[in-house]
Amino acid sequence: MDMHNQPTVPGDDEDITEKRVAVAGRTATLPAQQGAAPSRPGVVTARPRGLSRRQLPGAGALGLAGAGAVAGSGIALAEWMQGGGLNTLIHGPLTSSARIGHLLRRAGFGASPQDIALYTPLGFNGAVDRLLNYQQVSDAEMENRLGALRLDLNKPADQQRWWLLRMAWTQRPLLEKMTLFWHGVLTSSFRKVGGPQSYMRMIVQNQFLRAHAFDTFDNIMLGITSDPAMLFYLDLTRSRKNRPNENYAREMMELFTIGLGHYTQQDVSEGAAALTGWHVVGHSTTSRYVPQDHNNLVKHYLGHSGNLDYKDVVHILVNHPAAPWFICRKLFTFFVYENPSNDDLSPLVDTYVKSNHSMGAVMRTLLLSPQFSSAKAYRSRIKSPAEFVAGAYRALNIQGEGAGLQTMTTMMGQTLFDPPNVAGWPGDKVSAYWLNSGTWMARLNYIDLLLVGSRSRRFFYPPLDLQGIINANHIDSPERFVDYFASFLLDGSLDPDRRQLFIDYFTSQGSSASREQVTLTSGKRYPLGAVRGTLYLLLASPEYQLN
Amino acid sequence: MRLSRRALIKDGLLVVSAGMVMPAIFSRGVASAKTLAGEGAHFAQAAAERTLIVVQMAGGNDGLNTVVPITDSLYYQMRPTLAIAPGQALPLDGRLGLHPNLTPLKKLWDEGHLAVVEGVGYPNQSLSHFQAMDIWQTLDLNGSGTEGWLGKLVSGWVDQDGHPFKALNIGVQTAQALSSISAPVPTLSNEQSYRIAADPADSDSGNGRLQALMKLYNSYPRTAPYAALLDATALDAQEGVRQLREASAQYHPMVTYPAGPFAAGLKVLAEAIIENLGLRIGYVTLGGFDTHAGQKTTHDALMKTFADGIAAFYNDLALHNKADNVVVMTWSEFGRRVEENGSLGTDHGTAAPMFVLGNPVNRGIFGEPPSLSNLDSAGNLKYTVDFRSVYATVLDRWLGASSKDVLGGSFGAQNFLPQP
Repeated sequence: MDMHNQPTVPGDDEDITEKRVAVAGRTATLPAQQGAAPSRPGVVTARPRGLSRRQLPGAGALGLAGAGAVAGSGIALAEWMQGGGLNTLIHGPLTSSARIGHLLRRAGFGASPQDIALYTPLGFNGAVDRLLNYQQVSDAEMENRLGALRLDLNKPADQQRWWLLRMAWTQRPLLEKMTLFWHGVLTSSFRKVGGPQSYMRMIVQNQFLRAHAFDTFDNIMLGITSDPAMLFYLDLTRSRKNRPNENYAREMMELFTIGLGHYTQQDVSEGAAALTGWHVVGHSTTSRYVPQDHNNLVKHYLGHSGNLDYKDVVHILVNHPAAPWFICRKLFTFFVYENPSNDDLSPLVDTYVKSNHSMGAVMRTLLLSPQFSSAKAYRSRIKSPAEFVAGAYRALNIQGEGAGLQTMTTMMGQTLFDPPNVAGWPGDKVSAYWLNSGTWMARLNYIDLLLVGSRSRRFFYPPLDLQGIINANHIDSPERFVDYFASFLLDGSLDPDRRQLFIDYFTSQGSSASREQVTLTSGKRYPLGAVRGTLYLLLASPEYQLN
Repeated sequence: MRLSRRALIKDGLLVVSAGMVMPAIFSRGVASAKTLAGEGAHFAQAAAERTLIVVQMAGGNDGLNTVVPITDSLYYQMRPTLAIAPGQALPLDGRLGLHPNLTPLKKLWDEGHLAVVEGVGYPNQSLSHFQAMDIWQTLDLNGSGTEGWLGKLVSGWVDQDGHPFKALNIGVQTAQALSSISAPVPTLSNEQSYRIAADPADSDSGNGRLQALMKLYNSYPRTAPYAALLDATALDAQEGVRQLREASAQYHPMVTYPAGPFAAGLKVLAEAIIENLGLRIGYVTLGGFDTHAGQKTTHDALMKTFADGIAAFYNDLALHNKADNVVVMTWSEFGRRVEENGSLGTDHGTAAPMFVLGNPVNRGIFGEPPSLSNLDSAGNLKYTVDFRSVYATVLDRWLGASSKDVLGGSFGAQNFLPQP
């Protein structure tokens, strides 16, 4: 409750406004320091536990293992059973390289060779520690690179590109991933935040979610309730004390905190009355609470009665017995696998309760759970467009300015800062929704762009310097080529039959009659199309579509 | 190889091999495609030339401001700022008028090609967008269904010609109505991007690389996660690209389509119909109807986008002599609250009208008008027509399918289409 515990007298409202202005000023010029993202000065001093909002729970010890459960069906299942079952699938504990690869995909955006080299010596527990204790890792280089691009964060296209490049370049991958998680849950769209002059509100919201990604659920819900973009997106800013608008009241219960089945239409209308009072300020990136515009009647809300206000609503919701199950199910589905059981969720729910609703503590429990490292979780989700686009960019160390990256995710079905509706992206819940014939082609064509390049002026990409990679890594044979890229793209675990398919493509020169050639360090030359095509096939393969 | 691969899929080998975690839409594992194909025999026999276009108005379209009860004083009392004046509405009969931006629909009405079904809903209507959308698309009134009604229909069709476009979804995501366990539906957001780029270093236009890729997909272990989905998707894409490229070279639109993705989507559907790609079900979504605040501007613009897009589509088909083969049906997850709220908008409601249009349609107003004086406890309309009776009508009377099999029950019919 701390950060919203300001006295409800008119004079104090200015204070909130000031804080929001400060936030906007910072974000408008691209924050130089990740950890310095918005925090409202007066608020921090009011925190009861004496924790700075920037201090986040660290990580701890670990557990692991888990065997693969495999579901088949129909004839396929019968055939598979007769064939001896799990022969082609991983079962039992993951190998250590698979575990690190899996961790970096789920708690980040995949791995470049440098990432693998950095995280592998830490071991799984150490890697989890590093990801969670992100404030100990500098992201200054990323901020410098982003700053040099001079993006206009008032423009949605630049906003999207800015965030995708963060995902590709960050040394704090879990922080960006967690921010993406929140963006899919506590979501807003630039299309409804007050028009083009107010698009910056999306960045303010994004910085709020980043700064509080591992905070208590209480603080996250208080902050999002008064967030200017959200106030506009779900119409709370238009709500009046005598004619409350139901939109935010309904969606915060249905989609943000407790879910369907735990409230009635009466709770929606009473909650709407309790939530009145918050408004965005003009066209600014600030908001303020106006006590005179709060409905002071007695409200009956989820079994509580009184002159309830937004703080009471948030307090009631985050302490509702359904809340930890609701939010932990979302986390588990996003980070581990879909359709978790109650047994899967109960350790997370326990942590939520014991830690006073710390999302950082819940995430530590989640990452160290046996389920997270289980065969059941491994490659159990289709990569999202953001994961695919930022991931390939990161893995291949693409040098450049990320021109058009936002168009790529859009064609794959995900426009950051513009979810399809208030429920976020369906693919976050059921990842199979990410994949269809059109989005699959968009994936292939993005790979093609990264490897082949584009000479368009708006969209300049040089071809990937394969000869340079080959020389630097002493790749002397087709086998080495496939194994090198598979080591960070596919966890180094390629089934021998499938590995051979890639090698065959590399060595079959039939489809490429180009004069351009690539020379392996053995001195042997191969057509560029065959070499580049092999890497294309690795990135376009079924395995690489999975996360 | 390609066709036999497809035949394999149809015979059920490809079912839901998804391993570890099966996504909800593929989790009805035990039914094999073979069983479904068997059912398909009575799902649909006839009507090979007929197409149904479904237009989803996402977000909850305000039915009362779409088809306006111009003689109802309660409507004007409860909507002091949002009501559409009798003189502005485009009169259908003495009692109802269309939103002023629906001029093209009024023209279709005058020509005898528009039907309005009033008061459409279902028992205990959900005010949640997402539960309501699930119900409308999967017909599970608890909102926990996974297979879409159109997906069930499409996956039951055995298309010996291997038509990947017997259903086509416009957008970046396949609508839940089209989801099924065995037949992913081709989905595209725009025609230009529905292609597979080639590496100029390859002299064969990318054929060799694409063949190698298809081999990677069809040799992907069927027990591995998402194997069925991945394989079928790749196959559909590969075939679809070729067909669409050929169609695109032939197709010449006879009208100018309005700008924007909605009309562009309808244009792709028109192309598929006109160029005989075997399209039976086309699906396109227009979003943005969740008008809690400042409704007028948004809703006016959406009505115009909707009507102008439909008009271009209809006229293009008519000029290609295809309009007799196509029926368009609209739906939205709910209407909006009768009384406007304090933000110049409307909150979530219940029953609302559906449009059905096209040359085969009987002009008229069907169903029962819901009463504005007898609302439910939240101030919402009580539905008078079960949406499943509308679905049943298009299935039985237009698509030659058995609505009982597709919908899992009998829900009556509306007379906006003639008995076959």
